Amino acid sequence: MLSDCKGATATITEDHFRKIREAMDQALLPQWVLTDPEIYALEHEKIFPRTWQFLAHESELKNPGDFVTRWMVDDPVLLVKGEDGVIRAFLNSCTHRGTYLCAADSGNRRTFTCPYHGWTFNWHGDLVGVALGNTLYGAELDRSAMGLRPLPRLESVYGMIFGNLDPHAMSLREYLGDMLWYFEILLKRTAEGMEVIGVPHRWVVEANWKLTYENFTGDPYHVQSTHRSTVELGITPHRAGEDGRMGHQIVLTHGHGVNITQLTYVPPHPYQHTPESLWPLFEQSLSPVQARLLKHASVLVGGVFPTLSFVSPQHGTEGEVFNYLNFRVWRPLGPYKVEIWSWCLIDKEAPSDYKQQAYRAYVGSFGPSGTLEQDDTEMWSRVVQASRGHMVRNKNLAYNNFANYLMGYGRVEPDPTFPGPGQAYPGFVDAVSRSIHQYWFELLTADNAAEVMSHEL
Amino acid sequence: MNYELQLDITRFLYCEAQLLDHHQYLEWLDLLSKDLRYRVPVRVTRERKEGSDVVYEMTYFDETYASLERRVRRLYVKSAWVADPPPRQHHLVTNILVEPGDTPDTCRASSVVLVLRSRGSVEELDRIVGEREDTFRREEGQWKLLSRDVRVDEAVLHAINLSMFL
Repeated sequence: MLSDCKGATATITEDHFRKIREAMDQALLPQWVLTDPEIYALEHEKIFPRTWQFLAHESELKNPGDFVTRWMVDDPVLLVKGEDGVIRAFLNSCTHRGTYLCAADSGNRRTFTCPYHGWTFNWHGDLVGVALGNTLYGAELDRSAMGLRPLPRLESVYGMIFGNLDPHAMSLREYLGDMLWYFEILLKRTAEGMEVIGVPHRWVVEANWKLTYENFTGDPYHVQSTHRSTVELGITPHRAGEDGRMGHQIVLTHGHGVNITQLTYVPPHPYQHTPESLWPLFEQSLSPVQARLLKHASVLVGGVFPTLSFVSPQHGTEGEVFNYLNFRVWRPLGPYKVEIWSWCLIDKEAPSDYKQQAYRAYVGSFGPSGTLEQDDTEMWSRVVQASRGHMVRNKNLAYNNFANYLMGYGRVEPDPTFPGPGQAYPGFVDAVSRSIHQYWFELLTADNAAEVMSHEL
Repeated sequence: MNYELQLDITRFLYCEAQLLDHHQYLEWLDLLSKDLRYRVPVRVTRERKEGSDVVYEMTYFDETYASLERRVRRLYVKSAWVADPPPRQHHLVTNILVEPGDTPDTCRASSVVLVLRSRGSVEELDRIVGEREDTFRREEGQWKLLSRDVRVDEAVLHAINLSMFL
């Protein structure tokens, strides 16, 4: 099983993988795996091209010819809407000599012409123009074989468009599994759904993608320390120690997870401080169980493995708080760097002044200048800074170099009364993080000879 | 050209930069009008035919005096980890052009700001460069910053966060 891994790496042995496995069985994770360059190379080969990654929200492409350019780790992707309303995705690279075809972040075009030699492609990716084509190549040039290369898989749920480079991957819906139920609460809670405000924020931080993903998906424990300053100032609603506060961490399949904090009673501002005009819409679109959860919720935060996280909090910059939905992609730029892509989404049917306030709340909390974001990035950077040395990097674990995921391990059982799908653990636990590690390890060590064969065809 | 005005505003911008460099944010607030509008729109890569590459629908900062004051107060809290140990930072302000406003108690200025920040032992400096468009108003005999728009050059920021002000 591990012969594959050995082929791709120089020094990681079967014994090292066995030690990782043994550590995980004790709710530990060897620290060296976080930023090890060989592990990163394996992730690049075995995880990123085989999993579903978020590309765009449908509200970013409104009209025929609208396009956005995105990245799936190192693969440039061009998404464009056709006259038929269908959004297609291609490798953003000219089929002639491989030039990065469309250099703009977004816009509207009838065709895409490569500036290098002048080849032109339409909304369907077809090669429709070759400069001096018939003169130079003759009429026999088979243009149909030289269209833009489509992403092998492109699927969407509730406006969220995902891509996958593996033609044999399971469907997006199957991959998301019970996450769909929680996505409905976040994205399908009104007939019109959510819309992206403006464009995504992008910035590069010193961090490893596994930690940033885990920070949102499985680590509400960090909030009380990392973000203490915002609680002290009242930017984050203060709930600690308050009666009736209840948190659940929900373990889902494929390394996904959700954390929900709710109140046992109906909060004075139910439905996460959303405008009252939306409440009947929520009750119409959601099941009674989903609607009740949203009514009592204060924060929902989670992620879709490997690189998508989300948070639906309540924040404000001047006292009053507002709800928005933040989706973010952790685009790995190597073992030590992540480019963060962060979208702010707000209910399309919310009144415009509420949207304005909610957008400002996002900028002030989870944008790059956000008061919560500032301290998160500082912490991720500190972990990377301390992870390059001999002691942390020792693969034989001679220095007791384990990261600790013991919270709730063997002590906390799932709460059978929790109304949503998945395994819902009460309180602070590391259950989602442990499940992320399991799936990560499974993909990293999977025998994918079958897929390799099919790629060679 | 109004030399006195040019000097007054240039001096204002230099003093402001010094306060920001020295983390004297409370003193910095004294330079701001209570009616302040402070915005740093997102910059994108866009073809010329699409028009402006400055996106005001999404910003890095979209602030009033009250929201800036709150950001400042946070930086003084013991648990604002990003501010303690403090990073070392400088605001280099240059290309200052001052024009009189529509009324004698207002004026506007454009300038270029380069912000460099060093954190811990990290080798690379955080770096942001942008063009400011400011307006000023004289309030009780003192110039105050009434509005600021900063158009940063970067479409992808190479700063782990924006705990500093531009």
